[in-house]
Amino acid sequence: MIEARNVIKKYGAVTALDDFTVDIPEGKIGILGPNGAGKSTFVKIALGLIRTTSGSITVLGEDLDRNTVDIRRKIGYMPEHDCIPNSMTGVEFLIEMGLVTGMSLQSATQRTHEILGHLMMGEEKYRKIEEYSGGMRQKIKLAQGLIHGPEVIFLDEPTSGLDPKARQEMLETINGLTEVSGTNVLLSTHILQDVETVCDQVIIINNGKLQMQENVKKLMQRQTDVIQVRIGGSTEDFVKQLKKSGITATSGGRGLHVPYVNDKTFEQIVDSAVKSNCQLYEMERATITMDNIYLEVVD
Amino acid sequence: MKEKAQVSERFREFKAELTSRPSIVLGMGLRGFLRLLSLKNKWILALVALIWLWTLGFYVLLSTGDYPCENLEFWDSSDFKRCQPLVYYNDLGLGGVRLFLVTLAAISSSGLIANDMTDKSLHLYLSRPISRLDYLIARFIPVFLLLMCVTALPNLIVYVNQWGEAGLEFDWIKNHKWLLLDILILGSFYSASYSIIGLTFSTAINRESWAAGAFFLFVYGSAIIIEIFYLIMLESGVGDDRILLLSVIHLLDIIGFYIFGTQPFFTAFGLEGIDIADIEVFGVFILIIGSCGLFVNWMISQMEANK
Repeated sequence: MIEARNVIKKYGAVTALDDFTVDIPEGKIGILGPNGAGKSTFVKIALGLIRTTSGSITVLGEDLDRNTVDIRRKIGYMPEHDCIPNSMTGVEFLIEMGLVTGMSLQSATQRTHEILGHLMMGEEKYRKIEEYSGGMRQKIKLAQGLIHGPEVIFLDEPTSGLDPKARQEMLETINGLTEVSGTNVLLSTHILQDVETVCDQVIIINNGKLQMQENVKKLMQRQTDVIQVRIGGSTEDFVKQLKKSGITATSGGRGLHVPYVNDKTFEQIVDSAVKSNCQLYEMERATITMDNIYLEVVD
Repeated sequence: MKEKAQVSERFREFKAELTSRPSIVLGMGLRGFLRLLSLKNKWILALVALIWLWTLGFYVLLSTGDYPCENLEFWDSSDFKRCQPLVYYNDLGLGGVRLFLVTLAAISSSGLIANDMTDKSLHLYLSRPISRLDYLIARFIPVFLLLMCVTALPNLIVYVNQWGEAGLEFDWIKNHKWLLLDILILGSFYSASYSIIGLTFSTAINRESWAAGAFFLFVYGSAIIIEIFYLIMLESGVGDDRILLLSVIHLLDIIGFYIFGTQPFFTAFGLEGIDIADIEVFGVFILIIGSCGLFVNWMISQMEANK
């Protein structure tokens, strides 16, 4: 869906994207990273709103250097911040957005009512947007990105500023609406739960660099069954000893992560510590969520 | 149930037929123009009506034969028909226009970009398949068309009326084809210039009422200051006509008079004729309009890059 090759983007002395290379497949993809990691910059570059300092980027098979404007016919965009004119009604706004994308009045009107129907908006769609709640405004913002039936929609922090209930509703709406319209999703966020709820794959960015690209389900499966071990002495010898028992340990957090198979794994860890003359300070079966992975990668 | 499934299927398979970029831009422009003429914009409608009445009144007065052609030294006849191809249309247009065009331009243009910047909907427009330039053209069209309604349109009606008085002879049109072109060029020139300046203020000061006020004060304020300063300099014997180029109204009027091939004449203080090289006049004009265009483009590019 999106291919970026050695993309560098600088704002003066600040480097927002630093030799960023990524291959984003079709589906629902989350871009995760702390504030200032370069997520929004990447989304804006992929949308053709800003140019790269160097490097190349291809979106839906089109080279962005050659085609920054027309590619947006295939892309929907939901910005992070509030950007809806208060003076219009929901229906008027969506029709206007459809027309600005190049749809005919009839097509824009029909699509507007279909989308608002999917969003369960009744009579309130004829009310001025200034009267809408935060959640409704976000829904309208999402709807404007899908009005022209794009192949992919870029969602920039779609749950930003929402209370937990509205956030859950918004995530369900994103899932539902993109599912029913068959649209690919590129979700940029710093909230892990959003990625867990919506995405099939996650890309973690930090300091403008790609840190990790992984399937969300696999990542969660892999991380739930782990024993966190902290030892004193030669970690190398301990890892070698574990390997002799058929266990591959990885470094993570404050110590090592040993995959949990059954309770016998604990005995194998103790044996390996004894054989490698290491002190076993801590051994705990960890319920690791994506938070841990994220913090590990970002740190 | 089956019907629901069909609706869902249609929604999923939806592929929009999208028009070309020029059509999108033209559509945006025309919708913007119609919004300016909607009943919500009472002040705009009132000003348009006032300018039309003013022009009509002027036209009726002129038809009495009291038109001050004889007061102008560079005409040798007070014959209405003879002086008509020269300054008549310019005066007719500028009579009402000079007083209210700036006000109308200020009110109508001030919100066009400012509102998009204030509510940040500019980001949504620029995420559509239109470029920054397309967006600017789309915001230029409404105010340009509105100003054309009060600059070129009344003169065109007078032109048609005079053609009617001449017996609707085709020869009359042939003999006055350049006048028709001049009317259109003059109208387009004033409308385009004030639209661009208005949009610049709308971008620079992204609050509608402040932008309108600043535009009005800038144009009229500079005109009054420059004209007084010019007179003082003239009295003290060190006057330089180029000072007038610093005032937008004077600059546009000078070019306006060029379009009709007449000698510049400033009515406020009875100044007649100025001595400025064409290249200086057009150079300053291109500099001002070019700077406005570059500034607006730069401001919007900053909005694109930042949230």
